[in-house]
Amino acid sequence: MARTRNKSLQAKLVLLGDMGAGKTSLVLRFVKGEFSEYQESTIGAAFFTHVLSLNEATVKFDIWDTAGQERYHSLAPMYYRGAAAAIVVYDITSMDSFVRAKKWVREVQRQANSSLTMFLVANKADLEDERKVRYEEGEEYAKENGLSFLETSAKTAQNVNELFYEIAKRLVKANPSRQSGMKLHTRPGETRRGFLCCT
Amino acid sequence: MTEPQDPFSYPPIDPVNFDLIIVGTALSESVIAAAASAVGKTILHLDPNSFYGSHFASLSLHDLTSYLTSPHSLPSAATAAASSDSDDIVVVDLVHQPLCTDAETATYDESAFLSENSRKFNIDLGGPRALFCADKTIDLLMKSGAAQYLEFKGIDESFVYEANAGLANVPDSRGAIFRDKKLSLKEKNQLMRFFKLVQQHLDDTQEEKIPKEDLEIPFVSFLEKMKLPPKIKSILLYAIAMLDYDQDNNEVCEELLKTKDGIDCLAQYSSSVGRFPNAPGALLYPIYGEGELPQAFCRRAAVKGCIYVLRMPVVSLLMDKVTGSYKGVRLASGQDLYSHQLILDPSFTIPSPLSLSLGDFPSERLQMLSQRDIKGMVARGICITRSSIKPDVSSCSVVYPPRSLYPEQVTSIKALQIGSNLAVCPAGTFILYLSTLCNDADEGKKLLKAAMNALLTLPVSGNSESIPSVQSDSEDIKPIVLWSAFYIQKLIMSKFEFISSTPTPDGNLNYNALLDATEKLFNQMYPNEEFFPKATSPEDPTDEDDNGLTLDS
Repeated sequence: MARTRNKSLQAKLVLLGDMGAGKTSLVLRFVKGEFSEYQESTIGAAFFTHVLSLNEATVKFDIWDTAGQERYHSLAPMYYRGAAAAIVVYDITSMDSFVRAKKWVREVQRQANSSLTMFLVANKADLEDERKVRYEEGEEYAKENGLSFLETSAKTAQNVNELFYEIAKRLVKANPSRQSGMKLHTRPGETRRGFLCCT
Repeated sequence: MTEPQDPFSYPPIDPVNFDLIIVGTALSESVIAAAASAVGKTILHLDPNSFYGSHFASLSLHDLTSYLTSPHSLPSAATAAASSDSDDIVVVDLVHQPLCTDAETATYDESAFLSENSRKFNIDLGGPRALFCADKTIDLLMKSGAAQYLEFKGIDESFVYEANAGLANVPDSRGAIFRDKKLSLKEKNQLMRFFKLVQQHLDDTQEEKIPKEDLEIPFVSFLEKMKLPPKIKSILLYAIAMLDYDQDNNEVCEELLKTKDGIDCLAQYSSSVGRFPNAPGALLYPIYGEGELPQAFCRRAAVKGCIYVLRMPVVSLLMDKVTGSYKGVRLASGQDLYSHQLILDPSFTIPSPLSLSLGDFPSERLQMLSQRDIKGMVARGICITRSSIKPDVSSCSVVYPPRSLYPEQVTSIKALQIGSNLAVCPAGTFILYLSTLCNDADEGKKLLKAAMNALLTLPVSGNSESIPSVQSDSEDIKPIVLWSAFYIQKLIMSKFEFISSTPTPDGNLNYNALLDATEKLFNQMYPNEEFFPKATSPEDPTDEDDNGLTLDS
């Protein structure tokens, strides 16, 4: 049976977390179904769009990756502007990346709008033998700070689609509004009504 | 992250060799970072501030006040222990001279509200600024791919201030000319005749052209020759061609605009009006403030591999002892980094005379950098109000032509009001930016305060209840100022071989002159490279059709 799509939603989603936590790998797994063992630092493409169709709506994600600006803690405020959702990623094999993830959470709370949907994501769940951050630690921190929590593996695809579907569902329910302007696009045909025109 | 961070706690920057190191993230530096990254240069982009944009930033009310009122000095070079002192390198300390001087800020009313909502303000440090819908900034945003990170809104209306008559609309179409109640029928016909002549001149298919000799005469003389009345002349010269100096005063106006250039200004204004269906007038403004523009170019650069480090002051230059040529920079953290070329924010300079401890070093090599060319000043003002300068208009531009405020006024004053329908101020508030060119701080502030008093009311005391409603000439109640700031920005340009200094914010409403200077600087640095080649990477817009632009809402 055809799904009725009574709603269409466009949402900006931002990725945060320390270098090497697996932010880009998560997105590439979701958007392209790919995983690279030796993912280069994010250069060349740091912006992805992907459409998810739910029963009740279609959600078009504009996914912003950091373009390496997180390396020296130099993400621009523009990065957070108008974001409907944020994924803060840490690496379960690095306690340091978990500590830094908490700082990223605080930064999002400071910079972004209050109605933002935020997920704390413990990535590299396939590296169980090297785990330094217990599942309960991540879950407890998330609960205390009003975040949703998931453990994922970009390598095995564990929970990756679930993560984005869950975000999409929350956004449809919340139906976030934001201050929006107009985007510049290249398109043929321009309106004209200046005083040097005939109109 | 943008929380204050000790630069010494950063991991060392890796790699240490670059094609280009850029210090400062103002618009020019950010455009060059994006352009040079696009052609494969390895770049390190540093900023001593904790925010992007340098003197083109948009800041919260608290951050803006701090920036204007507290002096910025570089950490002492002595604290930056050398990581690679060697016999063939000479370390030359840099001095930071703030571009914003003579700042005065005042809170008149609702200080608790302003304090609580400080972060809801995105106030431009280099305002008033806007983009003409048909100017080269729009083209550059599209060509570079930076446009995809930005959103805009149109400025609702444009006004010109008339002595004893208040605000008059700048006609933006033929229909608007005929609807304008302030223009007589004779004036309307004169204006239409003039526009018809200009249109025919610009139309390649038309025979009738403005005579060649007329194109070379001053535009003001041509307008007189066309028998246009002073009011119309004023609108064309100052509200459309956006000229700074009184064109009728040869003593102050060193260079009169030629007719051919005046025609180009009219053409740009006309093609800006209605270029985008969702923007009513000629001007656009980024919804989060002008500080978004440098950020967008920085993101373009980052996507192409440029490394970004905020809160990282450069304290010294590393120079070759024998040749005196530039080698690299020393950071506040003590790390030494090397590059073929360096771009310095214009607020950096080398102390002159150089310290004698440099021994045999050919110090004349540095004189060009320490002898900076100060081309004048821009006085800037910012006011926060609770109501609009024109009822039912949220955002608008205003030009005060020379002599519109008092007889000795020789420069025009530009103003831009932005309302809370853009994300730059809390609901129910407005920001008014003002600027004018001046020769000294007192003169500049006098001009801006006169402009402010013409449209706004300064509370007599901290209690706005006691203030009678002040009537302006147009019988509208003048908005009451809650907060104001006035400051001076020096116009500086310096250049030295492998070290380049970018242009400072100018007094123009748009960025054309600044971007021309930026492109020129890029071409001097990289004569064999294209300034933003056609986009090819997956992040870039790959729309094949470049015939026109639309604004999607």
